[in-house]
Parts: sequence; C-alpha cells; structure tokens
Amino acid sequence: MGLLVAAPLAYSAGSKTPDNILTRGEYVYRAAGCLSCHTDDKHGGSALAGRRALITPFGTFYSPNITPDPETGIGRWSEHEFTRALRAGLGRNLEPLYPAFPYTSYTQMTDADLHALWIYLQSRPAVKQANKTHDLKWFASARATIRLWKALYFIPGAYKPNPQKSASWNRGAYLVEAITHCSECHTPRNALGGASTNMRYAGTRTGPENSVVPNITRDKKTGIGKWSVGDLTTYLENGMTPGGDFAGGVMAEAIDNSLRYLRREDLADIAEYIQSLPAIEHAVRKAGKNTAQKEAWE
Amino acid sequence: MTHSNFSHRLLFTAACLLLGVSLATHAAEPETKDIIKYRQSVMLSLRGHMAASTAIIQGKVEFKDQLVNHVMSLEANTKDIPSLFPKNSDSGDTKALDAVWKDNPDFLKKAKSAQEKSEALAKTVASGDTKNYAPRLKELQEACKTCHKDFRKEEK
Repeated sequence: MGLLVAAPLAYSAGSKTPDNILTRGEYVYRAAGCLSCHTDDKHGGSALAGRRALITPFGTFYSPNITPDPETGIGRWSEHEFTRALRAGLGRNLEPLYPAFPYTSYTQMTDADLHALWIYLQSRPAVKQANKTHDLKWFASARATIRLWKALYFIPGAYKPNPQKSASWNRGAYLVEAITHCSECHTPRNALGGASTNMRYAGTRTGPENSVVPNITRDKKTGIGKWSVGDLTTYLENGMTPGGDFAGGVMAEAIDNSLRYLRREDLADIAEYIQSLPAIEHAVRKAGKNTAQKEAWE
Repeated sequence: MTHSNFSHRLLFTAACLLLGVSLATHAAEPETKDIIKYRQSVMLSLRGHMAASTAIIQGKVEFKDQLVNHVMSLEANTKDIPSLFPKNSDSGDTKALDAVWKDNPDFLKKAKSAQEKSEALAKTVASGDTKNYAPRLKELQEACKTCHKDFRKEEK
C-alpha cells in the first residue's frame, strides 16, 4: 500500500534514531503541511515557531510554536502527549484543542507515521518564541465550546482501509483523509463549524483567509469532473490547471510547502481517490460570471 | 493648391487633431474597470498559450510547428506584467491582492522572474534544444505559481 501505511519500520527507542525514521518523518511532515500553518512566513518568522494567523469565520487563530524549544515550544512534551494531541485533540494539560488544528484528520494517522513525525519534529532547530493568544469571536472563545464541538463532530480513530478498493485508492484515501487533510478546507461547515457530512469536498465560499474554496468533487458543472486523474496529479505537483491557469493563495501555499514534496505516485493516488468521490453539484463561484474569465487573474 | 483641396486638407487635419486629443484624453484616464478587463484578457491569453505549450511539450498533442508561436506569445505577454497593474486598478472586480501595490518591490521581482523564464523558454524552443523544453517550461510554471501565491486571491 505504500510507505506511510506500510507496517511500522523497525525502530528501537533505545537506539540512535535511524535515518529512515527521519526520512519518513520528513515525508509525513511535508504531507501534513505542518510548515504552512506553524510558520509566520508573511512576517519572516522562523520555521515552525508559530504565530501564523489563520483567519476563519470564528475569529483569528494563531498557530503555536512546535519547535523543540522547552519553554515556548514542545520541547517538554512527551511522545505520548504529542500523539494524544493529534489523535484525540487534547493539549498537554488535557485541554481540548480547537479544530483549526486538524486533529480531526490527523486522528486517522498510523502509529508509525505519528512516531516518525514526532522524531522528525524533535530534530528541528529549537526557536524561542512565545505563543500568541487567539483572537476569537465571543461564541468561539470558551474552551467549553470546543468540548461540545468535539462531542458533536469529532470521530477519533485510525484510518481503516477499505478491502473492496484497490491499494492505490486506499493509499490515496489515507493520504487525503489522514494527512494532507484536504477536506478541512474543501468541505463546507455548518453554523457550528462542523463539516457538512453530505457536502464533503463540495467547496465553500467561507474558506480560510476569506477565500472561496473550490468544489473538488467530480461534478462536471461545478466541480472538477472534467479533469482527468493526470490533470489533477499535475495540478497537485505544480499548481497548473488543465486550462493553463495557476493556483494562488492558500492552495499555492499547500503545493509549495507540502504537495510538491510528495512522490508522483502518491499524488496520483490522491488524485484517484479525489476523483472517486461522489459528484455534488454545488456552485461556490459568483453566479452570472463567465467561468473561464473568472479563472483568469483579473 | 485649389481652395477645395485646401479645405479638405484643413478638415482632415482638424479631424486628426480632434481624434488625437480624444484618444489622448481617453488614454490618460482609462477607467478602472477597463484596465481590469484588459489585464484579465492578457492573463487569459497567457493561460491559453501556457496550456497549449504544455500539451505540445508533454507530447499530448502534435502541433509541434505551433510551439514557437505559443512560447513567443508567452514571452511577449510577460514582457511588462507590472504595466498591467497601474495604481488605479486596485479596486473593483479584481482578484489582484493589495500586496501587488503594497509590496511592490517583491511583485516587480516576481514579475521579472516570469519574464526571464518565458524568455528562456522562447529561446530554448527557437534553438530547437528539445531536451530542455520541459525543464524551461517547468521553471516558467513555477514563476507563474509563485506570483499567484502571493499576489492573487483565489476567488472573490
């Protein structure tokens, strides 16, 4: 099925960290897009030191420092605490975490990938930079709200392969659902911020950074039903649409920091899985506009 | 010169002057929406030539003879991208981010990179150095994406 969902690589906690764990960890780190959200690139921030603003309809979240700095980063965290954060959405002191951190997807990661990611993050340079408090709207600011949210919408648990499907489809599904977390942006959310289960991947006008996130189901009219698996693979690799346009904004960032580092066969598996999603007719672009014109840089 | 000839010439000169003044006035104060529409048209043509060049270079279609036309159009239309973004074209129905004007040095740098990469691609195709078509194309694609990432909103 591929590296990330293969059986855990041989690793002994007492031995020197093998290179293959670091390589695997770096691959998971790239695929998961940690760099984009945990680095304040706009203001020249250090890698993974946090403070990147994520503007959402619930307010602005500031990502935390995840470098190994003991005071301001995750240097004092244990691997168990780290894994629990990704699997269960709980902070070091068991406080519930906001789902702006996509543990809703990461919960599906394999133990081997979580372990490799932990090892890799520990190998990054420590940066001392205190976290910034989120600037949230009143209804989102209480941690009790998150508990309620989690009870309603969070389904913990590792990815379960579908035996009815091919290895490449399962590989794509694992990458998309557990690691690259495409659904977090491409699925519209209801008023409480829960993903609309009957509209998965159908796009939204209220995406992060005030962006309109396209419908990526295979609907021919409003989605990407006219794209081939090859078209989508190329897009994930270099950002070019079949029509010669290029990704911008948050998606270009995802490609630059994350997807471009994935092997082409993994991107093809991602494309295969995405193209297998049920078509949903859902127009997110402004009505009455020529689509070709809208796709160009106006 | 007869009187009639003179009158015709005078009339013609006056008409030219009027037209000239009218064009000059128009050129001096183009409407924002027209600039945006023009910019959009140029970007659309770039998009078409990019898709066409890619299809030929990737071997999806023949039309090898047409490649030089497509890459020359890419080169011509990326020659002065900043001129498509005058100061009064930052509002209206545009996906261009404020950063185009606020972070202008970076924008100019990235626009120049697109220009250089498209020149390199055109030069490579003109020289018939086929093995370098794909690498040069990739570099241009990268330049396009880099600029879109920082300066274009995904949708508005």
